[in-house]
Amino acid sequence: MTKVDLKGIRKYTLLVYALIVLLLTVGAWERFTEISLGGLNFIFVYFGIVLIVLGLILLYFFSALKKDAEGKSIFGMQFMQTIHRYRFLIEQLVSRDFKVKYKRSVLGVFWSFLNPLLMMIVQYIVFSHLLGIRGNVEHYAIYLLCGIVMWNGFNDCSTQSMRSITSNAALITKVYVPKYIYPLTKVFSASINILLSMIPLLLVTFVYGLFSTPHLYISKAVLLLPFGLVFMIVFCMGMGFFLSSLMVFFHDIEFLWGFVSTLWMYATPIIYSLSMFEEKAAWLVKLMQFNPLYHYISFVRTIILEGTSPAFSEYGICILFSAGIFTIGFLMFKKVQDKFILYL
Amino acid sequence: MAEDKQLMIGVHDVSMRFRMEEDHSGSLKETFTKLFSGGLKFKDFYALHDVSFDVYKGDVLGIIGRNGAGKSTILKIISGIMKPTKGDVERHGNIVPMLELGSGFDMDLSGRENIFLNGAILGYEKKFLYEKYDEILDFSELHEFIDMPLRNYSSGMIMRLAFSIATVVEPEILIVDEILAVGDENFQRKSRKRMMELMGGGTTVLFVSHDMNQIREMCNRVVWLDGGTVRLQGPMQEICDQYKL
Repeated sequence: MTKVDLKGIRKYTLLVYALIVLLLTVGAWERFTEISLGGLNFIFVYFGIVLIVLGLILLYFFSALKKDAEGKSIFGMQFMQTIHRYRFLIEQLVSRDFKVKYKRSVLGVFWSFLNPLLMMIVQYIVFSHLLGIRGNVEHYAIYLLCGIVMWNGFNDCSTQSMRSITSNAALITKVYVPKYIYPLTKVFSASINILLSMIPLLLVTFVYGLFSTPHLYISKAVLLLPFGLVFMIVFCMGMGFFLSSLMVFFHDIEFLWGFVSTLWMYATPIIYSLSMFEEKAAWLVKLMQFNPLYHYISFVRTIILEGTSPAFSEYGICILFSAGIFTIGFLMFKKVQDKFILYL
Repeated sequence: MAEDKQLMIGVHDVSMRFRMEEDHSGSLKETFTKLFSGGLKFKDFYALHDVSFDVYKGDVLGIIGRNGAGKSTILKIISGIMKPTKGDVERHGNIVPMLELGSGFDMDLSGRENIFLNGAILGYEKKFLYEKYDEILDFSELHEFIDMPLRNYSSGMIMRLAFSIATVVEPEILIVDEILAVGDENFQRKSRKRMMELMGGGTTVLFVSHDMNQIREMCNRVVWLDGGTVRLQGPMQEICDQYKL
């Protein structure tokens, strides 16, 4: 077993941090400048926070390196060690999923682009022209596409990761690998598809925007798109832990989830808009605040349709949901994982 | 020799209990209805009961016993696949379990892709696999088929590939459930020779077999499991002479 290269990890952490700060600063600049805290422009507070976090990261690695030299380990070291050790396996499993998915199809990866497009066309015709649900939503086609792409991503992630333990039963009973790797890799490979489906989304938005009245332009807020996706992917990981461990004990979950996810889809404003209910059913609007997917989808919609950063409270809500579900799912998974082998 | 006494695996008071539901329902509804009607009964079954033994560096330890004595269970616990109900296992050194060859193969991928996938599952490092790729390929003798999907392979070819991947390492601890002789006669001879090389090369080996000739030939120490407990353990000659089913 090779040792963790702490300096290398520090380099990557700093690079990722710089990227996050860069995307956030450029993408949400207007939001920063419009808030003021008692005369003090928020932008100063923001840069203060950025520097403090940078300091904390450096401090962490400084003490980690020191402890490492003494042969002791520090909080998080064990985690890095496992990731480092199984990085190659994760890489291989993800590439397996990806290759196998399209291996026997003629169009291959192209399906990742084509699928959301076809779905959008069908649903656009049905809901907008036949049923007239579009309400007062501007740029309904794009509104719908955002919803579909995000929902499909979530549905794909959760269904794939739900089966991850049972479908790898042959491996789990033969070779020791930390079991959480299986749902994680499934979410990773499904996430690649989410990322790929962003391409048709942006492409369609661009073309549509040119011909629509009023025009719809992709603004620099699009730099914030990765945040919305990462929030949802982390949420999916939590759901994956939860569903895959349940699935081991109760195979019924697979069928139940088919129903629950359909219900969830209709309970989320994907094809309809929440503004339709503002007068008729105000309680629904309030209740919707507890639907994490509503937040992830509207996060992306704000960026694409309004061309601005979502309000900072939205970041907070998304992070809260993601971190919460991830933690609950992981703890539950950890608690029952030793029993998996007895039920597989 | 001091080196001989270096502990590689320490099995301390390991017990493994299986709960057998009277009839395994596996469905949510049945479990719930049984839970409320009080019909969810378990029957405890101890596959292993307070098993302890030590394995030192360079040992070739044979585990013998009749079917259901707990041989495979103890191997699974030592390789970390199962967690014992009680007791613990101390491990020093990297373990390569050869419990069932090729269990990580994906039939839709090519032989080449499977070498990397299976290698990663066995815990090999990326660099190591790239270096050893040719060696694996040469040993398996599958050059012309390596870019074909595995589903077009014959079962013998799959076993040859699996064996070649599993034995390319020289692990510190090798766990073998039955000696593996796969493929046609020529390859069987080759694979047997490779196994002997691995076992003779200072590797610590844990080895389950029903073939007493093999045990006599290769092991220096033997653990005799009977009904989940250690019946006897000690030097090979001593145990083998007393062993009868």
